[in-house]
Amino acid sequence: MTRILVCDDDAMISEALQEVLEAEADLTVVAVARTAPEAVELAERHSPDVVVLDVRMPGGGGVHVARELRHRRPEIRVMVFSAHADPATIVEMRHTGVTEYLVKGVPNAEIVDTVRRLGRGPFGEL
Amino acid sequence: MPDSAFQLLVEGVVDYAIFMLDPDGHVVSWNSGAERIKGYRAEEILGRHFSTFYPQEDVIAEKPRRELESAVADGRLEDEGWRLRKDGTRFWANVVITALFDRTGRLHGFGKVTRDMTERRRAEQELLERRRLVTHLVEAQELERRRIAWDVHDDSIQSMVAVGMRLQLLEGRLPEEHAGTVRRLDDAVRGAIARLRALVFRLRPPEIDRHGLVRALTEYLGDVAPGWGLTCTVQDGLEREPPNDAAITIFRIFQEALANVHKHARASTVQVTLSTEDHGTLVEVADNGIGVTAIPAVQAGLEHFGMLEMRERAETSGGWWTFADRPGGGTAVRFWLPTTVP
Repeated sequence: MTRILVCDDDAMISEALQEVLEAEADLTVVAVARTAPEAVELAERHSPDVVVLDVRMPGGGGVHVARELRHRRPEIRVMVFSAHADPATIVEMRHTGVTEYLVKGVPNAEIVDTVRRLGRGPFGEL
Repeated sequence: MPDSAFQLLVEGVVDYAIFMLDPDGHVVSWNSGAERIKGYRAEEILGRHFSTFYPQEDVIAEKPRRELESAVADGRLEDEGWRLRKDGTRFWANVVITALFDRTGRLHGFGKVTRDMTERRRAEQELLERRRLVTHLVEAQELERRRIAWDVHDDSIQSMVAVGMRLQLLEGRLPEEHAGTVRRLDDAVRGAIARLRALVFRLRPPEIDRHGLVRALTEYLGDVAPGWGLTCTVQDGLEREPPNDAAITIFRIFQEALANVHKHARASTVQVTLSTEDHGTLVEVADNGIGVTAIPAVQAGLEHFGMLEMRERAETSGGWWTFADRPGGGTAVRFWLPTTVP
């Protein structure tokens, strides 16, 4: 079972995300964060396998969260799920070790596949 | 020229008040221009002190006396300021006072030439005011666009993304006969999201501050032109970077012109040419499409809303906008904005 933390300040998006992910038998959402500090705190508390992260969030944004997680919990995988596809943000995220960057509006299947792949870890293990 | 002819000339000049003062500043001669500008007839003013022409605050500050002293010290004095007419109304005057010395170096009096500059000053101030208003207008428009872009981006698009995600979930739970309907709904939502994103992209502020106008135009072309199947070239003949508000207006008109090429022209190439001309910036957006007279809306005599907007933007900024068929085929949109102070 892949354990996921959803981070998005927009309730409609985070609820929809939660529903999409929970619909899969092998995925479970362990917590939902609305702000960047909350995301860091919940990640430390729940130790999820994957964090689904919005870029624009109150309290420092997704970049802050990714940076903190890389420092405190390098084993957690991050998938950015953002309305922004501007190259500067993508580069900034890449510097924090984020490799998966999905733009909001992609099909649900793509979200599920990416989260599942990240959950398997770097060597495809469960 | 005999003295009498010279005197006739001076007396006949109506655009300038030309008169003489004695060494103490009393009026000793008067011409038609002085009468026209200041409103006194010769018999009313001869013998009176020239401080009569100055507003009270200048008299209190002893400006008339100081001006005569400066003229004596430097030979002449030029000043611009308010003066009074006989009826007490003010006019903006350009005044030259020349000290007149005889051969022995004794002060003989002063020659005074006054021009009424009120109209010119008003025109200059109107121009300044107009430029200030245009700057405000451009700023306000940009602010409004930014607000709309944020609202669409943060609210409308997010909501529709969430709706799309739920529609896909629903589709997976429905039997096939109903799933198709939901799939089409999801497609419609996705199309709307793409269009809203394009809108946000068009509304976002151009990054002119950082790298200048030409770079902002080139980058915008690089972003949108490939998707529209357009090959673009930019010719930069600018000698000076236009000021920011003019650059923004140019960018917005260019954006609209390019959108029109995409929507109506059926073109494959666009050439953008910028040059500094006639104290302003001239821009041409030329395509190789079907030409303006072949566009149905233009044929029907309807001016497209975008065209009106482009023209209005240019004219509000004190410039002009036009479009026409190119001799070799296609359409050329040309516009000019004043961007430097003459």
